Amino acid sequence: MSATAPIAVCLKWTPARLDGGPLGPDAADDRFAGISPADRAALELALRLADRLGTTVTAITAGPAGAERALRDALAAGAERAVRLDMATDADSRDVAFELAQSLADAAIVLCGDYSLDRGSGSVPAFVAHHRRIAQALGLVDIDVDTATAATVHATRRLDGGRRELLAIPLPCVLSVEGSLATLRRAPLPRALASRSAHIDVVATPPAHHHGAPAIVTAYRPRARVMPAPAGEVVLDRLRRLTDAGTAPSRGETVVLEPPAAAARIVDALREWGYLP
Amino acid sequence: MPETPDVDVIVVGAGPAGACASIELARAGLQVVLLERGPFPGSKNMYGGVVYPRILDELIPNWWDEAPVQRWVTRRSTMVLTPTQALTVDFRSTAWGAPPYNGATAYRPDFDHWLASHAEAAGAQVLCSTTVVGLLRDANGRVVGVRTDRPDGDLRARLVIACDGVNSFVAKEAGLHPPVDAANYTLGVKETLALPKEVIDERFGVRGREGVDIEILGGTGGVNGGGFVYTNLDTIAIGAVLKLPKLAAQKRRPEEIIAGLKAHPAIAPLVEGAELKEYSAHVIPEAGLAMMPKLTGDGLLVAGDAAAMCLAAGIWLEGVNFAMASGMYAGRAAIDAIRAGDVSTAGLAGYERRLSETFVLRDHRKLKRAPHLVLSDRVQHVYPELITSVAERMFRVDNPEPKPGLRRIVTSERKRLGIRRRDLARDGLDGFRSFG
Amino acid sequence: MLAVIPVRDGALPAGATEAADECGRRALLVGHQVEHATTHLSGEVILCEVGEYRPGAWADALARALADEPIIVLPASPDGRDLGPRLAAALDRPFFAGATEITDRTVVVPRDGGRAMHTMPAPPRLVATLQVGIRGQEPAGDAATVTSMSLDLDPGGIPIADAHVERVLAPDAATIDLAEAGRIVGGGAGLRSADQFDRLAELGDRLGASVGATRVITDRGWVGHERQIGTTGVVVAPELYLAFGISGAVQHTSGLGHPDHVISVNVDAHCPMMQLADLGVVADANVVLDELLSLLSAQAATEGVRPDA
Ligand SMILES: Cc1cc2nc3c(=O)[nH]c(=O)nc-3n(C[C@H](O)[C@H](O)[C@H](O)COP(=O)(O)OP(=O)(O)OC[C@H]3O[C@@H](n4cnc5c(N)ncnc54)[C@H](O)[C@@H]3O)c2cc1C
Ligand SMILES: Cc1cc2nc3c(=O)[nH]c(=O)nc-3n(C[C@H](O)[C@H](O)[C@H](O)COP(=O)(O)OP(=O)(O)OC[C@H]3O[C@@H](n4cnc5c(N)ncnc54)[C@H](O)[C@@H]3O)c2cc1C
Ligand SMILES: Nc1ncnc2c1ncn2[C@@H]1O[C@H](COP(=O)(O)O)[C@@H](O)[C@H]1O
Repeated sequence: MSATAPIAVCLKWTPARLDGGPLGPDAADDRFAGISPADRAALELALRLADRLGTTVTAITAGPAGAERALRDALAAGAERAVRLDMATDADSRDVAFELAQSLADAAIVLCGDYSLDRGSGSVPAFVAHHRRIAQALGLVDIDVDTATAATVHATRRLDGGRRELLAIPLPCVLSVEGSLATLRRAPLPRALASRSAHIDVVATPPAHHHGAPAIVTAYRPRARVMPAPAGEVVLDRLRRLTDAGTAPSRGETVVLEPPAAAARIVDALREWGYLP
Repeated sequence: MPETPDVDVIVVGAGPAGACASIELARAGLQVVLLERGPFPGSKNMYGGVVYPRILDELIPNWWDEAPVQRWVTRRSTMVLTPTQALTVDFRSTAWGAPPYNGATAYRPDFDHWLASHAEAAGAQVLCSTTVVGLLRDANGRVVGVRTDRPDGDLRARLVIACDGVNSFVAKEAGLHPPVDAANYTLGVKETLALPKEVIDERFGVRGREGVDIEILGGTGGVNGGGFVYTNLDTIAIGAVLKLPKLAAQKRRPEEIIAGLKAHPAIAPLVEGAELKEYSAHVIPEAGLAMMPKLTGDGLLVAGDAAAMCLAAGIWLEGVNFAMASGMYAGRAAIDAIRAGDVSTAGLAGYERRLSETFVLRDHRKLKRAPHLVLSDRVQHVYPELITSVAERMFRVDNPEPKPGLRRIVTSERKRLGIRRRDLARDGLDGFRSFG
Repeated sequence: MLAVIPVRDGALPAGATEAADECGRRALLVGHQVEHATTHLSGEVILCEVGEYRPGAWADALARALADEPIIVLPASPDGRDLGPRLAAALDRPFFAGATEITDRTVVVPRDGGRAMHTMPAPPRLVATLQVGIRGQEPAGDAATVTSMSLDLDPGGIPIADAHVERVLAPDAATIDLAEAGRIVGGGAGLRSADQFDRLAELGDRLGASVGATRVITDRGWVGHERQIGTTGVVVAPELYLAFGISGAVQHTSGLGHPDHVISVNVDAHCPMMQLADLGVVADANVVLDELLSLLSAQAATEGVRPDA
């Protein structure tokens, strides 16, 4: 794969959070939609890597016409080309990834955000890597590229327990990055202005293949946890432990207080529990 | 050698003034860039809640078919409050509930965004998340462009129109503003309260898209100012406009004053059980003509709140219509000047002429005394009680006493409240002159 | 149902036992030195020794071997989240990320940053990852019944490219500090500014607590991501947790362990963090933080004044 092959960055257009109330964001309202911090970090890294490797950046999104705003912002920031795959906002990740992989067949590096804000599955990058049968490295917290050979990316990824691993990833590859990795540069004014009327390739896509099952949506509640069976000779002791009777702190007290009173209440609780003298 | 301009006109601020200026300019085929610091037009803009859009007839025919309106104002009330009393003058008109309409409640993020989209459709380049941080001038001090907060952020134009709102950075930078005097500003504070639409309909006695606009004198708890209540589809805007020096002197927090207003026996039943959605505050240029900057400079026009065009005179709180009109006239004057090749102060004289011929400056001239009068201590703290106690005695049945005559009631209440006849007469005359 | 558990150097990843329990204690261990990783498991365990971590090649080979396993669950540990979607793609099945519950009838996944739960009918074949720490694990039973299976990576054809692990770095000071801290003060999006987050650190100092944050905060760069608590951050196990302006999304709370005491300050009385709290205080976290600091310094001052000094 030559270093002049472009770097692609996948940007997901997401409706804003749905809890805004009557004045706040509305799912159908493009004004409040945008791309995630992770996607912005991916764009910034794509621009930096392209600079180091002497190649260009193609920004791509699978989404409705409104998503072109994200592409224009990417062009303003320095992307060379912008592609929109015409798909619904809620298209299935498998269809999205398939179409992205088709369009990105020539990209040397495909950069993604680690998770999209709404769906949060982090699966599209892995799906794209599968379709192209290339290496993947997901959820990266640092990226560097070997400019000498331009054939390997060096990256850092989190493992459990606070450990990290250093990866050498052969090109072509799919990388996904965390939002804190980089801050997107501010677009220079001339590019920002030119991007408003810049050309965007719009690609028609076949009708949806996959359809997610309809879901019952409820407010989040933590799942009841499995409890180890209590030990103890006496039945009453076991029961007490199970029900926490007598030993349990008063879990679940909620108070509405003015800040000074709230602070005093917190200090009292910390004292009572023995965290403060 | 002077650098060539990048575009014909730069409009700073995509509020109502900037959007209307851009619409006119772009329709005339000029190259316009509209710069806005927020993420989209109207995103950060707040106001009380009522737009009087008559002037839009000239810009967007049948605007009512498409404007993002909450409710049409078909009922307008003026309320005079003392701590325990309320006197309301209530006007209703079914005519205001049909085209061409008189007034509408609307959310600014909706309204401003919609207006700016017309500028964009006409060909203006709207660039958001871009803040103007300086003016570019040539050797003669003529304004030739702006500096933005973006890298490589200078942009040159034949003409700059400042529509950047109250405390206009651009007008100040150009030296057009007289020194700031806090006494010329009021603080507008507002709470947006959510209630189901049916509840609002029932409490305010309206149906469908009908809405209510209530202006309030008194009820601001010793701080000179006024209050308002407006209905949106499923929210109520309640707020107050407060004299800044008084607020500071009394060390009162604006939230307390809204809380006081909401607790008033005449208001409480309207807002009971509503959920607070948003609290916002904004400064209002209040002194009208007395604080207007120079409206033109070489290569520069100032419109809307940036030019203190907001009319805040007691029962009137209008700014959006003044902003739209002044923006539109600024656009027209700019077109003439650019076509004539003279964008100096002299070449731009058409702006002030247009403002003087229309409501924009004529209303301000007519009502130039009104802000001062309405916010004066007697009108604020003494007359509400006079008016309500006169009403109370008129309506009270004191059998076996016979009904007293109005003149007698007024005289005795005036004396009770220690108002000198001379002051009352003078204020009456002032009022007549101010509003007549 | 079968749990697929990626193993490195004979060590189980976080959430491995929970995933196995969710699948009725049927697990397939795939990776390096897998036989050392069986000690904490009971039930049926299939060993699959394939060496160094290679998500692309593993997924490809596993897909061929597990075509008849209808429901496959991986722990949402870093490797599980990496391998899971790749395996789903290789099997051409729907993928459910970070589920909180998986049965043969329904799958429950959090959406919108943990604010909502979507309960979906389970399709006949699926791959899912199970949120770590969400289920709790059953007490260990008898030793596992172990069988082995061989996997053919890169059979003929073009080999699948994979990243190569060059080195594994030990946790740095901040992560160790956080992971081992007995007391933690955590800050979320309810905090107004980076300054306010610094004030939280000050409070941590006063209480002898370490400082953690939600992903929203680390994304904003107010603090390094080694301070992020949760699924994609550090898993902690404090006795005391003080949450300021944190909504309590699963991805955050699943990294919290089981503190003895939780205090949450939030303007929203009904968010999940408040439900988890022993003391929920409905108030502006920023102001309460300031008040707490001045209260604590006032008390420190009075305690400092000894009558005999
Ligand atoms: C509490 C309150 C209640 C009110 N109630 C009413 C009412 O009910 N009806 C009514 O008609 N009027 C009302 N007004 C007045 C009305 O809001 C204003 O008169 C009107 O908004 C003025 O419009 P404008 O376009 O001049 O300025 P604005 O609406 O203030 O717009 C200025 C724009 O410029 C942008 N900007 C500022 N600086 C820069 C910069 N440096 N670079 C780039 N962009 C910049 C801003 O983001 C903004 O979008 C009220 C005002 C207040 C505060
Ligand atoms: C795959 C995946 C992995 C993730 N991994 C992690 C992870 O490891 N760690 C993590 O933390 N997150 C993680 N997240 C993100 C997670 O879903 C949530 O978005 C995040 O935890 C929310 O952080 P928050 O509580 O700070 O923000 P929000 O959810 O925005 O909540 C802010 C809270 O502050 C309250 N608030 C607002 N103003 C005030 C005020 N003035 N005073 C008091 N309270 C106020 C609000 O009521 C709200 O409850 C992950 C997400 C995904 C999809
Ligand atoms: N519709 C889409 N268009 C472009 N990129 C996408 C799309 N959906 C997901 N991605 C990319 O895949 C990443 C992870 O998304 P997800 O798998 O949905 O969590 C995102 O941050 C994007 O970089």
